[in-house]
Amino acid sequence: MSTWNYVVTAHKPTNVTHSCVGNFTSPQELNLIVAKCTRIEIHLLTAQGLQPMLDVPIYGRIATLELFRPHGEAQDFLFIATERYKFCVLQWDSETSELITRAMGDVSDRIGRPTDNGQIGIIDPDCRLIGLHLYDGLFKVIPFDNKGQLKEAFNIRLEELQVLDIKFLYGCSKPTIVVLYQDNKDARHVKTYEVALKEKDFVEGPWAQNNLDNGADLLIPVPPPLCGVLIVGEETIVYCSANAFKAIPIRPSITKAYGRVDADGSRYLLGDHAGLLHLLVITHEKEKVTGLKIELLGETSIASTISYLDNAVVFIGSSYGDSQLIKLNLQPDAKGSYVEVLERFVNLGPIVDFCVVDLERQGQGQVVTCSGAYKDGSLRVVRNGIGINEQASVELQGIKGMWSLRSSTDDPFDTFLVVSFISETRILAMNLEDELEETEIEGFNSQVQTLFCHDAVYNQLVQVTSSSVRLVSSTSRELRNEWHAPSGYSVNVATANATQVLLATGGGHLVYLEIGDGTLTEVKHAQLEYEISCLDINPIGENSNYSHLAAVGMWTDISVRIFSLPELNLITKEQLGGEIIPRSVLLCSFEGTSYLLCALGDGHLLNFQVNMTNGELTDRKKVSLGTQPITLRTFSSKNTTHVFASSDRPTVIYSSNKKLLYSNVNLKEVGHMCPFNSAAFPDSLAIAKEGELTIGTIDDIQKLHIRTIPLGEHARRICHQEQSRTFAICCLKNQSSADESEMHFIRLLDDQTLECISTYPLDTFEYGCSILSCSFSDDTNVYYCVGTAYVLPEENEPTKGRILVFIVEDGKLQLIAEKETKGAVYSLNAFNGKLLAAINQKIQLYKWMLREDGSREIQTECGHHGHILALYVKTRGDFIVVGDLMKSISLLIYKHEEGAIEERARDYNANWMSAVEILDDDTYLGAENNFNLFTVRKNSEGATDEERGRLEVIGEYHLGEFVNRFRHGSLVMRLPDSEVGQIQTVIFGTVNGAIGVIASLPHDQYVFLEKLQSNLRKVIKGVGGLSHEQWRSFNNEKRTAEAKNFLDGDLIESFLDLSRGKMEEVSKGMGVSVEELSKRVEELTRLH
Amino acid sequence: MEGSSSQLFDDDQKSSGASKFLFNLPSRGHLSSTVISSNLGGMRVYICEHNTSPPESQHIKTNQQNILIRSLMLNDKNGDSSSKDVKAAAEGPRKRAAERVMDSKASAKKANTQEGSSSRAEKDYHSLTVERLRALLKERGLSPKGKKDELIARLKCVNGSSQKSE
Repeated sequence: MSTWNYVVTAHKPTNVTHSCVGNFTSPQELNLIVAKCTRIEIHLLTAQGLQPMLDVPIYGRIATLELFRPHGEAQDFLFIATERYKFCVLQWDSETSELITRAMGDVSDRIGRPTDNGQIGIIDPDCRLIGLHLYDGLFKVIPFDNKGQLKEAFNIRLEELQVLDIKFLYGCSKPTIVVLYQDNKDARHVKTYEVALKEKDFVEGPWAQNNLDNGADLLIPVPPPLCGVLIVGEETIVYCSANAFKAIPIRPSITKAYGRVDADGSRYLLGDHAGLLHLLVITHEKEKVTGLKIELLGETSIASTISYLDNAVVFIGSSYGDSQLIKLNLQPDAKGSYVEVLERFVNLGPIVDFCVVDLERQGQGQVVTCSGAYKDGSLRVVRNGIGINEQASVELQGIKGMWSLRSSTDDPFDTFLVVSFISETRILAMNLEDELEETEIEGFNSQVQTLFCHDAVYNQLVQVTSSSVRLVSSTSRELRNEWHAPSGYSVNVATANATQVLLATGGGHLVYLEIGDGTLTEVKHAQLEYEISCLDINPIGENSNYSHLAAVGMWTDISVRIFSLPELNLITKEQLGGEIIPRSVLLCSFEGTSYLLCALGDGHLLNFQVNMTNGELTDRKKVSLGTQPITLRTFSSKNTTHVFASSDRPTVIYSSNKKLLYSNVNLKEVGHMCPFNSAAFPDSLAIAKEGELTIGTIDDIQKLHIRTIPLGEHARRICHQEQSRTFAICCLKNQSSADESEMHFIRLLDDQTLECISTYPLDTFEYGCSILSCSFSDDTNVYYCVGTAYVLPEENEPTKGRILVFIVEDGKLQLIAEKETKGAVYSLNAFNGKLLAAINQKIQLYKWMLREDGSREIQTECGHHGHILALYVKTRGDFIVVGDLMKSISLLIYKHEEGAIEERARDYNANWMSAVEILDDDTYLGAENNFNLFTVRKNSEGATDEERGRLEVIGEYHLGEFVNRFRHGSLVMRLPDSEVGQIQTVIFGTVNGAIGVIASLPHDQYVFLEKLQSNLRKVIKGVGGLSHEQWRSFNNEKRTAEAKNFLDGDLIESFLDLSRGKMEEVSKGMGVSVEELSKRVEELTRLH
Repeated sequence: MEGSSSQLFDDDQKSSGASKFLFNLPSRGHLSSTVISSNLGGMRVYICEHNTSPPESQHIKTNQQNILIRSLMLNDKNGDSSSKDVKAAAEGPRKRAAERVMDSKASAKKANTQEGSSSRAEKDYHSLTVERLRALLKERGLSPKGKKDELIARLKCVNGSSQKSE
């Protein structure tokens, strides 16, 4: 059953809609605050760059974001209004590092038509009032009293109905707004009003300006001493004030964002729809404006917000491409651009379409998205886990261990790579040509297997074999000292660091040696009751060369023990439980916390926190990483230490926010790994896998890895074809020429390189609307089918389209067949060996026919009318689920005998759909344009026809994101033995660039998590006093209803980030131990 | 796309470019390092465990009183202007309610003993600059001294009397 669903974000929204700069976190600190739809990010400006501070989830879609400074305050407050008419004023408490709610409220009105041009929220520069324009014809005022407290809000009637922009003017004795509006003859004007707070009314303002540029869309208030306002149009920019009027013509462009550079408002940055950045300068003399100048600076991503930070560095927030940090240079570069991009912040939005593929055939899905728009369009390959980028590899069978060694103690790079085999040891080294070649270290015994190697102090190397420990000079490479195992005993396991060696021989003997300059001293010996399976003395204390603790894993009693060094006194003994012996132990430190990791022979990993003073083990946790024994090794990437777990599912273990995270690596099976940081391959890893030794670099350590393939054009549909190993995309390129025409193409891309290998141009005015890879009955070939529409300027709805059938031959798209349709082909599906198309109001089934001459054609078989626009279609067996433009979901069935499609049931709600998916035979999932998700169920057991003909709504949820596509699949590897491996998941992609997962849970788990969610609501409060329950309630123009049969995974998973005290509070409410709760929630985090 | 933009840059270079406007960009000492990096640490996800309700008086609600009723009540308070409102309403029975409200508001605001017909002129005066007002006063042979409101009042006196004489 797919009734009970769990919704969780795998990739947070990245579309930057607002940004502002101010002293938010302290009077001395300057912050950049960025709004990404439902989250705000607080950054700190430092000399070195932007330092991320906090990522704050907001229970609402952010409509406006403003920083302001009330009277008598030393730092700025943050004003946020949400699209569902809530607002809050936040203050940063630097002592507790918390966001304090200074005020909040509901600014909705019972009657009123929401504005077409978006909500406007502005704050008077002298902090007398907050102004909101939320409904046509109304201006809402929230006044401040003289202590900076907010007072009761009131509405003022605004005569102008089509408002384009409203701003407060600077330097007015009474709060004055300037309104840019359009009249009923489509002419645009500005007008000023003074807000009379006492009378709660407008007073006609000091000036007005009629008949502006027809494209005037943006007001920029100019601060004192100049005051006035800039009116930015498509062809002119006008400066206007009570006593001055200056205008300059500009190249036709639509200005999307502006950022003020100087505090006195003499320079502004303007970003236009083509991503061009201009500098607008107000020239002035004696506080009188003398003119305007505009200069092109260069190209950036298409900006939705611009914030001048400091020292010529500017933040460009983008909705259509990556956000950027740019520097404005005084001198142009070779291309004449003054803009230098310092950094890009990945943005997947808008995700128009995506597909889930398994390119590396590892059983793990990757999401390939059509992201971005216009010139910033791109494909993004989103993969869970960490990639190894192969630099070099050699065939080597039977590797039993690997270690890298330096040629001297203070050499920053590794020189030697020691590779151990069952009966020999080989040493590889970088030669002068930076090639890896076999060499020799004379002092090493290369006739036997090496158990362990390490660099030691005084330019020495240590080699441990089954019979001895050898200390070798790393400069002369000669043996300096040797410790022999007692006769009759051989060394089984060993470990070492720069000054210490710990080894175990048969019979449970534990021997501890210390390394001196040319000396190896046996310091201590201990006899344990059982055989020793693994050891570790990785130094995690203050001294990076010496460890005070030793971790030992035991056979027989299946325990892990901590000994003190050099005394070899037993400090702690922890029974692991079960019958699987520990195969690898590792002491390591992440973000200042010390851990003991202990890997078992069956692919499970236990982790404990280690108390460095008394050696106590606490906070035991267990996870499953694979099914084979694991070997643990540390490595560094970007100056941070991580742990690599080699096994059948190689995993990188790292820490974020003091929480251990596990990311799988895109390799199949790794036997051994060692870091190999050589001059030629810096920060690389040497990896032994499947008979080969590979040297590769590792991706950034993060959960999701995103590869960007810039297209320079806007991709709208994507589909993968396994057989030809290609992707096909529908895309459009905006011509830069004056007529603003656009050209549409079908492009074929190689699925490995993602390079375009073939292109099929569509006709003028012809749009690619849908794409599908499918095969037909009685034909073994696999085809790409493309549905198009002729979008003619004079038509409201397309009345003509085509279905094109292509085959991939020699990497080229060959058109095999085409069929004209009577409308836009919004959707194509493979259906019982035939082709099912959604064409305007109709669902149409086509069969694939062989003509007498051997060629193929598409023939109409049957159809079904009765939709407004059938936009989204999914099929399962003979069932067809249709998502309509405005008539929600309906269920059709194809009757083979009659060769007809009939309607079986429908949802009678008027939902405007944006995506549909079939969860199981009876349950269907829909997303609609008020950012809600809902599920409906087929009622086959209904007593009457009327009941059977109704799809019952069983689940409702406010996602707060506009979903463009659902696809079955998973971003993570499904381990068959784990509980979450059985859970069905659907992935969704949104306009804001978020990727999420909807998982259908078993009922008992749902009930448990629902209880956890309601307990968490009591503990985790909404920032700004916003309520989680209200936020997740289903909401459209007509009604609001509590969320049902959906759970907010983001809230549930934040349990793991709670403080211990709060976790216990939740645990008490649940009647389940904190450990058990953590384990169950951690399991859920592995869904994405 | 690229072709056009490079062409734009060429134009710029001819006109000596934007360099002269890019001098003295504001700086407060941040982002001054030669290598700017924004990955100076991970982004912590904020979990709000404290009570986030605002102070009691700061739970803001909207005044539910109808705008029309509010403006009527305001007019009532302003005693003598109310009779004029009725008159204004009677004058234009075919006017839309909204416009009527706007009109009544406007006159209520300038609660003066002004004639309805001259409220237009008064509005014009308010939109004029002080210099302009002074020029007008001089034309009429009056003293150009005082605050803007005084100047307007003086002009209105003259206008009122001239209208009466008409």
